This record gives sequence, C-alpha cells and structure tokens, in this order.
Amino acid sequence: MSPWLQHLPVMPIVVPLIAGATMLLFAESQRRVREGIALLATLMQLGVAIVLMYLTTDAVPEIWNRGIGVYAISAWPAPYGIVLVVDRLSALMVALSATLALPALFYSVARWERVGVHYLPLLQFLLMGLNGAFLTGDLFNLFVFFEVLLAASYGLVLHGSGVARVKAGLQYIVVNLVASLLFLTGIALIYGVAGTLNMADLGVRWSTIVAADRGLFDAGVAILAIAFLIKAGVWPLNFWLPPAYAAAGAPVAAMFSIMTKVGIYAVVRLSVLLGDAAAPAPLAGSWLFYGGLATLIFGIIGILASQQLARLIGFVIIVSSGTLLTAIGSGAQSLTAPALFYMISSALATGAFFMVTGMTERTRTAPVSDVADVAPMPEVSYRAFDVEDMSEQRVMNEEAGIAIPAAMAFIGLAFVFCVLLVTGLPPLSGFIGKFALVDSIVSAIHAGELAERNWALVVALLASGMAGLIALSRIGVRLFWTVTERTTPRLRVIEAGPVAFLLVLTMVLTASAAPMMAYLQSAAQTLHNPQVYIDAVLAEPMQSSGQSSVQPEVLP
Amino acid sequence: MQLILIVLLPFLGSLCAAFLPSNARNAEAWLAGLVSIACFSLAISLFPQIAAGEVVRVIVPWLPQFGLNFYLRLDGFSWLFAQLITGMGALVVFYARYYMSPADPVPRFFSFLLAFMGAMVGMVLSGNLIQMVVFWELTSLTSFMLIAYWYHRADARRGARMASTITVAGGLCLLAGVVIIGKVAGSYDLDQVLASGDAIRAHEWYPAALILVALGALTKSAQFPFHFWLPHAMAAPTPVSAFLHSATMVKAGVFLLARLWPVLAGTDLWFAVIGGAGLCSLLIGAFAAVFQRDMKGVLAYSTISHLGLITLLLGMNSPLALVAAVFHMMNHATFKASLFMAAGVVDHETGTRDLQRLSGLARSMPITATLATVAAASMAGVPLLNGFLSKEMFFAETIFAGHSPWLRIGLPAAATLAGMFSVAYSLRFVHQVFFGPPPSPDLPRAPHEPTRWMLAPSALLVLACLLVGIMPAQTIGIFLETAARSILGVNMPTFSLAIWHGFNQPLIMSILALGGGVVFYLVLYNQRRRAHGAAPLIDRFDGRRTFDVVIVKLIRTADRIQRLLYSRHLQVQLVIIVCVAVGAGWVALHESFTFWGEVPPSRIDPAFALMWFVGAVCAIGAALQAKYHRLAALIMVGGTGLITCLTFAWFSAPDLALTQIAVEVVTLVLILLGLRWLPRRIEIDDPDRRSLRARVRRARDLVIAVIVGTGMASLAFAIMTRPRVPGLSEFFIDRSLPQGGGSNVVNVILVDFRGFDTFGEITVVGIVALTVFALLRRFRPATESIDVPRAQQHDAPRSLQELPDPNEDLPRGYLEIPAVIVRLLLPMAGLVSVFFLLRGHNSPGGGFVGGLVMATAVIAQYMVAGTMWVESRTRIHPQYWIAAGLLASAAAGMGAWLASQTFLSALAWHFTLPLIGEVHVSSVLLFDIGVYMLVIGATVLMLVAVAHQSLRSHRRPVAVAAATQVHVAEAAASPGATH
Amino acid sequence: MEVVFALAIGVLTGSGIWLVLRPRTFQVIMGLALLSYAINLFIFCMGRLTVGRPPIIRADGATDPLLYADPVPQALVLTAIVISFATTALFLVVMLASRGLTGTDHVDGKERDL
Repeated sequence: MSPWLQHLPVMPIVVPLIAGATMLLFAESQRRVREGIALLATLMQLGVAIVLMYLTTDAVPEIWNRGIGVYAISAWPAPYGIVLVVDRLSALMVALSATLALPALFYSVARWERVGVHYLPLLQFLLMGLNGAFLTGDLFNLFVFFEVLLAASYGLVLHGSGVARVKAGLQYIVVNLVASLLFLTGIALIYGVAGTLNMADLGVRWSTIVAADRGLFDAGVAILAIAFLIKAGVWPLNFWLPPAYAAAGAPVAAMFSIMTKVGIYAVVRLSVLLGDAAAPAPLAGSWLFYGGLATLIFGIIGILASQQLARLIGFVIIVSSGTLLTAIGSGAQSLTAPALFYMISSALATGAFFMVTGMTERTRTAPVSDVADVAPMPEVSYRAFDVEDMSEQRVMNEEAGIAIPAAMAFIGLAFVFCVLLVTGLPPLSGFIGKFALVDSIVSAIHAGELAERNWALVVALLASGMAGLIALSRIGVRLFWTVTERTTPRLRVIEAGPVAFLLVLTMVLTASAAPMMAYLQSAAQTLHNPQVYIDAVLAEPMQSSGQSSVQPEVLP
Repeated sequence: MQLILIVLLPFLGSLCAAFLPSNARNAEAWLAGLVSIACFSLAISLFPQIAAGEVVRVIVPWLPQFGLNFYLRLDGFSWLFAQLITGMGALVVFYARYYMSPADPVPRFFSFLLAFMGAMVGMVLSGNLIQMVVFWELTSLTSFMLIAYWYHRADARRGARMASTITVAGGLCLLAGVVIIGKVAGSYDLDQVLASGDAIRAHEWYPAALILVALGALTKSAQFPFHFWLPHAMAAPTPVSAFLHSATMVKAGVFLLARLWPVLAGTDLWFAVIGGAGLCSLLIGAFAAVFQRDMKGVLAYSTISHLGLITLLLGMNSPLALVAAVFHMMNHATFKASLFMAAGVVDHETGTRDLQRLSGLARSMPITATLATVAAASMAGVPLLNGFLSKEMFFAETIFAGHSPWLRIGLPAAATLAGMFSVAYSLRFVHQVFFGPPPSPDLPRAPHEPTRWMLAPSALLVLACLLVGIMPAQTIGIFLETAARSILGVNMPTFSLAIWHGFNQPLIMSILALGGGVVFYLVLYNQRRRAHGAAPLIDRFDGRRTFDVVIVKLIRTADRIQRLLYSRHLQVQLVIIVCVAVGAGWVALHESFTFWGEVPPSRIDPAFALMWFVGAVCAIGAALQAKYHRLAALIMVGGTGLITCLTFAWFSAPDLALTQIAVEVVTLVLILLGLRWLPRRIEIDDPDRRSLRARVRRARDLVIAVIVGTGMASLAFAIMTRPRVPGLSEFFIDRSLPQGGGSNVVNVILVDFRGFDTFGEITVVGIVALTVFALLRRFRPATESIDVPRAQQHDAPRSLQELPDPNEDLPRGYLEIPAVIVRLLLPMAGLVSVFFLLRGHNSPGGGFVGGLVMATAVIAQYMVAGTMWVESRTRIHPQYWIAAGLLASAAAGMGAWLASQTFLSALAWHFTLPLIGEVHVSSVLLFDIGVYMLVIGATVLMLVAVAHQSLRSHRRPVAVAAATQVHVAEAAASPGATH
Repeated sequence: MEVVFALAIGVLTGSGIWLVLRPRTFQVIMGLALLSYAINLFIFCMGRLTVGRPPIIRADGATDPLLYADPVPQALVLTAIVISFATTALFLVVMLASRGLTGTDHVDGKERDL
C-alpha cells in the first residue's frame, strides 16, 4: 500500500500539532498567515478523517482488513509500544470533531480570534488532543491526550479573560485536575494488577486476573470510569459544565459540544472491552443506565429552570450525554447505532446553537467591562514576546461587515432550526435520531430483549423535547419578538456562513439518514464485537516474542 | 408523480414567496393562488382512479432500517381532504389578498401559509405513520408562525405559544402512540396497520396506544379538555383563522381518528374516551359560544362544539356514524370558513368585532349580511342547507348509539340541547351584528360594503352550502361515498342523502332544537343583551389561566428542584466527586478485597521511617498553615516534595529524583512570584472561622480526608504486598540496549518505546505556557496589592536611591554579590543542562531535566538583576523556543517516514566528518533536543510572564514615567518578597 | 518498608484532600501539589519497591528483570510529574487572575454568604 495511506492514522494528531507550532512562529500581527495555516490544517484533518472513514468500511481490504487499522507508533507492537487504532467509531469521532472545528474556525476569525492571543494555535492543540484521545489504543496515552485537550480547553475557556470566564474557568480547571488525579490512580491500579496499559491487552488479561486481585482491578477501573464520567457530564459530577460552557466564547463553546462526547467514548470503549456484563460497577449496564437517567432528568430540569440561552444549551448538552449513557447502559446493542446518530446530530446542533447565541447576545462577544481598566503590559515585555499591544477598541469595533437586510430573519430562522434540532422535533435530524432511538427501544421491549424500565427512557426522551420547546419558545419569543427590539445586529457572512454550514449538514444528515445509519450500524457491530478489535491490535509482528497473554503468576 | 407535486409545490411556493419583496402583495397572492389551484386540479385529475377504488401510491425509501419511508398514499378519504385543503387554500389566499393591509410584510404571511398547506397535504397523504407525525408537527410549527404573525401583539404571542405547546405535546404523544401501533402491527406502513386492526385491539398495549393517539388527536382538534387554546388562537389574522381553525388544521385530529378508525375503534374504551371527549366538547363549546362578545370568539367555540359533534360520531363505533362524521367535516368547513370571512369583513370595514357595539349592519352592507345569514343558518342546521343534513344524520345516530338505558335517553337529549345552543348562537351572531337598531356612530370606521372580490370566496362557499343542502346526492354523494368506502372497505353501510326522510325522531329533534334555540335566544336578548363574554357556570373553568399557572408552576418547581440537585460552590462539587469516587472504589472492592498479598513486607529501615515522619509532619503542617501562613505552608510543601524526591532516589529511581528536584525548584519560584498578589489574611480578622457551619464543614472534610487517605494507603499496601506482574518491563529491559540503543531504560521508554507519551506531554507544557501568557496579558491586580509589598515598604526609600540602571554591568547594593554569582552561574548551568541532555540516554538525565536547569538559570538572572536589566541585554523569544521544540520533536517523529518506518521510530545515522571524525546521530537525540528547547521556552515564558506583573502593577498615575520604570525593575527584582 | 511507604501515601493524600476542600485558592493549590506527590508515589509503588537496582542496564548487559526495578511506572511518573507541574503553574496563574478580577481569593470567586 502507498506509504502515505500507511501513515494516515497518525495524521489527525501530527497535522494540528505542526500547524499550531508553526503559527507560533508568526506574530499575532500576521493574522492572515495564521488563519491560512489553521484553515489548511483543519481542512487536511477533515480530508484525512473522511479517508479514514472510507477505509474502515472495508472498501480496500488489502489495506485494513475487517475495517480496523492499527498503527504502531515508533514501530513497537502492542502491548509494548503505543498503537493507534482506527475503527469505524473512532474514525467517525475524528471526522465529527474536524467537522465542528471548521465552522468554529471561520466563526472565530470574525472577532473571537482577536480578543486574546494564541487563539488559533490553542484550537489546533485542542483538535490534536481530541483526535489523539479518539485514536489511541493505550490507556496511559489516553490520559496524556486527555491532558492535551484539557490544557487547550483551559486556554480556550479563559480566552478573552473577564470575570465570568475566570470564575467559571477556575472551577472548571480544579474539577478537571481532580479528575485527572483520579484518572492516574485508576491507571496505576490497573497496571499494578494487570501489568499492562494497552486496552486490547487489558481486554485479554482482565478475565485471567486471580480472584484475590480482582477487587483491586475493579477498583482501578471504577475510579477510572468516574474520571471519564466527570468529563461526560454525568450528574452529580457535572456542575462545572453549564457555567463553563456559558462563559466560554461562542465558537469555543461550539467546539466544546464534542468534549463531553470524549468521556462517553472512553466509557464505551472500556466497558465494551471489559465485557459489558462483567464490567466493574460504574461501567456495568445498570449503573450507566440509572446514572444516565438521572443526568437526563437533571438536564430536563435545568433546561426548564435556566433563563440564559447559553446556559440552557449547556443543559441541552447534559441531556444528550444522559440520553447516550442511558441508551448504552440499557444493554441492548440495537440501541447503539441510533444513539450514535443522535449524538452526531446533537453535537452539530449544539455547535450551531452556541454560534447563533453568540450572534444574538452581542454582550457575550464583547467583554468591554472587563478589559476596560487593564493596565497594558510595559513596552519591554512586548518586545520580549513579540506581541504588539492590541488596543481593546480595535479588538472590539466591528469592522463593517456586509449587513444583510434580513439579518434578523436569518438569525431567527437559524434559531428555529436549532430549536427543532435540539428538541428533536420534525423534520430535522434531531427527530430522526430520537425516533430511531424510541423505535429500537420499543421494539426491543416488544421483543422482550429490554426490561420494562426502559419505558422511562422513552418518556424522558419525549419529555426532554417538550421541556426544550417550552423553555426555548419562552426565550426565543423574548429574544426576537418582544417589542423592545434591540438594534438588529450586523450579520457578517463569515459568522452566518458557519451556522448555515452546520444547519445544511444536519439537513443532509436528515435526507441521507439511511446510508449514515448503515455505517453506524456496522460501527456498532464492530464495537460490540471486541474480539475483532483485540485480534487486530495484538495480531502484530513480533507478537510471538511478546508475553501479552501470560497469566499473572508469582515470581520466584 | 402528481402526488409528489401536490406535496412539493406548496413548499417550493413558500420558498419563493419568502424571497419576494415585502410589498409585493399581488405577486404573492398570484403565486400562492396558482400553487393551490395547481394542487387542486392535480388532485382532481387523479379522481377517476380513486373513484375506481384504486389507491395511488408513491414510495421513496428514507430510513428503511427503521421502517420509515417517504410514502404518499391517496385514497378516497385523503383525496377529499386534499381537495378541501387546496380548494379552501385558494379561496383564503384570494380573500387574504384584500384583507391584509399594505403595511403588513406579506412575504412572511404567504410563505408560511403555503408551508402550512404543504404540511397539511403531506399529513393527509401520508401512507407511513411516522411520516404522518412529521407533517403533523410541521403543521403545529407553521401554525405557530401564522398565529403569531402580528407578533408585536402580546395576545398573538401568547396564543401562538399556547397553541403550539399543546399541539406539539400532543404530537409527541402521537409519536409514542404510532410507534407502539407500528411495533404491534409490525410496520408503520398504513396499509399493513389498517390490515392488522384485530391484532392491535387484542394486544396488551392497545389501551396505551389508544390513549396516546387520542391525546394527539384531541389536542389538535381542540377537544375537551384541551379546547381552550382555540379561542386564544383567534389572535391570528382572520384568513388564518378561516383556513386553520375552521377548515384544515383543527380537522387534522378528527382526520386521524377517522384514518385509524378501522384499527382502534370498536371497543368500549374507544367509545368512552373519544365519545366522551366529543360529547363534552359538543356541549361546552356550544354553551360557551352563546355568551361570547367577540364574533371570532363565537365562531371559535362553535368550532369546538362542531368538532365535538364529529368526534362523538367517530366515537360511536358505527359505520354510519363515520359516514356522517366525514360528511359533517366537509359541511362544517364550508359554512364555518365563510362565516370567518364574514367576521373578517365586518372587522375590516368597521374596525371592531365586538357584538355589543355592532348592530344593524345589514343596511350598510347587505351582501355580507345575506351571505353571513345563510352560512349561519347552515351552522344552526336549518333545512335546505348542508348543515341540516349532517345534523340530521347525527341525531339519528345518537338514538341508536346507546347501549345502556341512560345513554338511550341521555345522548339524544344532549344532542338536542347542543342543537338548541347552536341555534341560539347562530341567531345571536347574525341578529346582533346585522339587524336591530342602526349602527352606533362611534364605530372606528363608517361601515360600508367591501370590494366585490373580498366577498367572492365567502359567496362561493355559501353557494356550496346551498347546492349540497338542496341536492346532496347529486353534488357530494359520490365523493362522500368514495371517501367513506376507502375507510370502511367491505363493511360500508348504505346511506341515503335525502332531504326528506319522513316525519321521524331526528326531524322532531331538529324542530325541538330550532324552537328551543329561538326561545333561549329571546330570553337572553330580553335580559338587556346581558351576554358579557363570560358564560355562566363554566366561566370559572378557565383553561388559559390553568395553562399559564401550570407552565409557571413547572418552571418554578424546576427551579426549586434544581437548587436541590445543583450547586455552584466548588467545594460542594469536589466533596461530591471525591465521595462518588470513593464510593465507586468501595463498591468494586467490598466483595473481594484481600488486604494482605503473598509477599511479606520488607524490613523497615528506621532512617526511612524517620524521613517520612518528617514528611508527614510537613504535609499536615502545610494543611494546617496554608490559610494564614502561606509562606510557611509553601516551604513545608517543598519539604515534602524534597522527601518524595529522596524516596525516589532511595528506591532506585534516579531519573525521578532528578526530575522531581528540578520541578520542585521551578514550581517554588513560580508560586513565590505569585504569592505577593494574594490578599493578606490574619487569623484574628476572620469572622466566619468560629461559626458552627464552618466547624461542621471542617469536621466533614476531615472525615473525608481521613477516609480517602486510609483508602489510598491500603490500596498501595495491598498492591505492594503482591508479586510483580510480568508484562511490559521484561520486554523493555530486554530490548532497551540492543534495539533502543540506550542503557537507561526509563529514558529509552520516554523517548522511544513510549515516546508518544512524551510527545503529548511536552505539548501540554507548551499549551499551558501559552495560556498563562495569554491570561496574564489581561491581568488586573487587586487594588490593595498594587503597592510595594509590605516587606519592602520600610526600606522603600533606600531602594529608591539605589536604582539598578539597565546600562551598568552590575546592580549595586545588596544584590551585587548575588548578581555576580548568578551571572557566573548562567554558562555553568548551560553546560550542565546540555550535559544532562546528552547523557540522558544512558544514565539519569534527559532533555526535560536539562531544560529545567537552563530555565532556572535564566530566571535567576531576572531575580537578581531585574527584568529591565535582563531584557535590555537579551531578547528572549520563548514562544519561538516552544514552537521550535514542538517542530523539532515532530520532525524527529516524521523523519522515520523517510525510512518508511512508523511515526517516532528511532533512526540512527553514522557518518564521518573531516576533523571531527566518527559521528553518531539519532532521531531520538533530535527528539530529546525538541523536549529540551520546549521546556526552556515554556518555563521561561511562564516565569517571566508572572514576574512581569510587578512591572505593570506599579504604574501609579502620579509617578513620573522614568521614575516608575526604574522603580518597577526594582520591584520585579525581589519577587520573593511576601508578607 | 511497604508499611511506611503506604502510610506516607495515606498522609499525603489525606492532607491533600483536606486542603483541596478548603475555600481559599492558595489552600487548593497546595492541596493539589500534595495530592500529585501522593499520586506519583502511588504510581511508583505499582512497580513494587526495589532498593539499589536502578533500571539502567549494567555494564555486563544482564537483562534479568529481577536485577532491575520496574521501569514502566517510573516512566509514567515522569510524565505525570511534568504534566502536574504544568497544570499547577496554570492553576496558579488562573488563581492570581481570579483574585485580581473578582477581588477575592475564594474558589467561588465570591465570599460564601453565611
């Protein structure tokens, strides 16, 4: 096979890194260059992701057989070295993050990029972390990439500074630092007992752990799972989420709408590899189910209670996490594909929604009150750091964009679309996702595969849609139709474009639901058949000399 | 093909309409009119097939995996509705052209009107239940936009929200219902669902399905107890009311009930739910209608009652009743629409719809009066009009429907009563508006006849009423026949659409109703027209208020619950997180936890124990002191770090010891630099410390801390007393030297075996440095900490005399000696760091440690010589260092590609240079150099960024620039100064 | 030895947790520092305790794993140290910024209303 195809799996990590680093070589003043690099990098990632998705469909079996690509970093095979594993799911997630990144990038070029320094590099590093987390097949490496994306997300949350952001950012950071400590504890225990860090190898070994050590191993996995669930935004570990997302700038928040999915992704991977049924407490089905249900209900309540749009969307994100976890926890594999479809739709929708919010709430995009009385840095350090002082007014003033006559109409329409998407009302993809979920739940119950308790999920799903409609119509009417109409915001193509892009994507998703669902169904199939994954990862050359499958025994 | 066009055209039209200029009334009207007429005639063209009993189908797969296909299905019944919708649509468009004022932004109106029409047609043509739900919800959403067309009016906004909320909620129930039906029937395909009626009625889920579907239908058709949204939807422009609230949207509910009649009907539950709701709406609607003030209010309530009549008919479980229901759907649409139009005309020409103020308009607007009178007569069920016929059929059904004696008496009685009411309100509607004393002069506009064209639609409808009323069999018969047959199929009853069935019970009931109605009205009228818009008895059941209260309560409760389930306090969050983690660990452990492993613990070395005794004291001391004596706490934490580092050295981990110590130093310096910005805190001036709550909180935290501590300790112990698990380490030790090319296994792991971790790790460091810098550009010190640190204030004057001048070699004064030393230190440190970097592969060291050493040396320069001094000599570009570091390590990784190896694979080149001789270059070294550069860059960037804050903090408004600048440097020179 | 080691981890964790749950940012940062020591030691001891056998291949090139301490946890700890250093630095700065912008050093950005 061609050498470049061979190296494809590592591209989603290397490309953003190089792009981010290269941007640092150009001063903030050379915006166009930086933007060019960022755009190029993001497009490349999107392209790579699409090719990866294509390869995982077994279209070219001679490259990857059975739809799983394994890339051994620094040529050391699993379980010794670190491997990147591309299957349908991970490829999909990479594609999704790139898809969100593109509009976020364009949107931020309009204004956001300039309310602080190093915005674009941070965005690239965030992507690097996301892609790494999705692709890596090694537990500790997963930790490292979590840290990468978290570090970048700290930077992005704080981007633009200001009281609200710093307040929310502080809490966000502390919570995530604690989560990282839990993460490390879990990994340590797992290594101490199972003696491996590679996930596939873990999938082999965990069953052979002697009873005396099983408790320790389970404890490790449990603590690890808590770390994931904190990131997934499970109640009661998700209090950090709404304020942080509400405080972050519109494009940043839009980008974040995929971050909770990383936690869920990790949970799914691990629980599947450890065999859902036998998996330790927090990963076992019923725990996820009830945890997810609690999250879902918490999200619904939050949606009803919140008055501010951005905050409300934060709760919408919580709802979608809850839905996903409940669907996963319900234990019926037929729910996975619809859940994934729902996840894609909601990720795109919340992304678009945050951007629309950014357009409606101009106040959030101009933290004048905070930057007003900042003493600028003395000359000397600007020379030292090559940053010319960007006077705030230049940052704040809206360079006259093309004021489309129907600016408000566009925003209003976009708002309505987003409402339809997040509440899962017809005819957009949100509905398709919810319908598919409800349909498969009911048919599973009808077939006797699922317990009656799953009716609760159906009810919660519909209720969340209703709650969203009530709250959003309230806010929407207040926002667009109250007679005290604020001056119509200038709409810029560069801001409207991304939103339109995302909305069109959801429409495409709606129209071509069948092929997408087919892909997802095969993704779910691969996911729920971990043996394929394990074989693919561990079936590497040099395996013979390895001892990945030895039973733990007392050394002399 | 025609089918797709029928559904598609309206949507395309609405798209076009949206983009026409806002004053193009005629263009809009033409567009909309043509579209609806086109759809109308398309449907007509299909009638021959339908009449032949065929079903026209178009199926396009959409989401076949879940049985969701785009399936259009045209049979007699849906054909009739398609006609109704498109035909009525054309008339309404025509009417709206003259009704809407030139000021209104018509594109929005027509675009949504067409979209609604499309959704409605799609709904009735749906052959797939899910697709039907999709269009169903679309009608709700578009109607929201239409009702709220005049959104500057509060009542319009509220009415729209109420209508959409209720109907959408109903739609969601409907979704659940049809999913259940689909699952039981095995498909969402309407044909199959209709085929498997018995299976569904027999299934245990039937009640649930029935209730859910009923909820959908009753909310949509404004049936009791959800009827209250309809009167408030009257805030919509009158054409909208004529179209949505008489002819089409409210008919959707009864349409659905009729559509699923073969599947769900035929049980007592059906009779109870549907029939019951229908009966209640019939009576309540009719009764309330009598007392309305607003013309449209009367019509709204009468619509409720007429739809109740239809629902009741559907609930009666008899085929003939179904026929009557279908018949009345059509009749009601015709006369009610024309009445709405009349009301609109009156409103348009007089400026009010208030029955109290209007009277005697017949003089000034005779045509309108005539049309309205005929339509109203039809509504009242006067013979020779279509309303009469269906009402007769209804009466006939009521007599035969009841099983129990109660029903035998009660149902006909109720029907007659409702009939009386309907006569009464029809009479009142006409009499008070058009007859009686001449119109009072205080009307907003002088009443006069509108343009002929505005009356034309209404006239057409009235004509239809007459034709159908006089010769039903010839006009409507065949259509009604096909429609009913398409629903009932084989058990289609024989019915006769004659005006005269002989002198039978239904006729008596009609006469009673007419007579009673007139009497009832006269009674009311003679009581000085005391109809004040509030109906007696049922007045206090105000649906709208209940709705608002419910919504507000919902939000309030949500808010209250959220307060319980949510906290914005970080401490609470952390407590929860820690507890959950402990709990999870416990749950996993408590079944099988053997504390003691096989391996006996090794002998305790007193020195080590003593060392950790000190360490523990330091840790606890730090815990106690951190609030009031920060410096002390910091030092103690540093001590703990030192002991940790010794521990690493003790247990044969030299690399860790080295790194730990280096990191210690840098962290310490950073925090020292930061300390001065924190507020002073003295033990005494802290009120809440002694409070009970604080005590409780501390006790709680203490318990948690102890639990977690013991937990971790026992976990660690349990692991340590177990044998080492064979796995990775053997492999690494085996290959470190031969294949990794280094004897320091840890370092080989870091740069080769698991180099990717390091790769990510340095990225983290880089990112953090950038973030720190970005954040500190916006740094704003708290006002009280802007002054010179208190520690320096006493010697401030002295320091002001001896200002280090950037241009002299050495800062004078008490910093002179340190300056010399530190400056000598710099090259040394550089040397050491490079040494570490190079030897790292074979013995403790490596790029990271080297970088930290170098960075420390640099920051030392800052500390003694001062920022100005350093930066006036060197130009440091930390972010370039970071970039270079990242790129170097990436390059080291990608270099492997050239040798077609995977990313980060180690490559080595041997070559000989002149003079130098044998040279051994490895990509690993390049990687480590990358780490080295990045660490220098990142660390310096962070340290310097923090240090720089003291520069900005001293810019006092009064101070002279020069003086400030120098003073600044001095302040920066002693960042360690704290209270 | 193991006992002392375990106790050390316990004490560090305990005081770290106690500090992290305090209301003042400085206490929290101190707590995080202590906790990261504890976790590093914890990861370290997953390779079990070995005295005087650093994982540096001897001159004779003997590769019997029993001659060396387990290198893997050491490598992990190294990465962990670096990352916790970075995050501590970040948190320090955010803490300063928050103190500057909100005027208080309470973790909630405002004094808790008693």
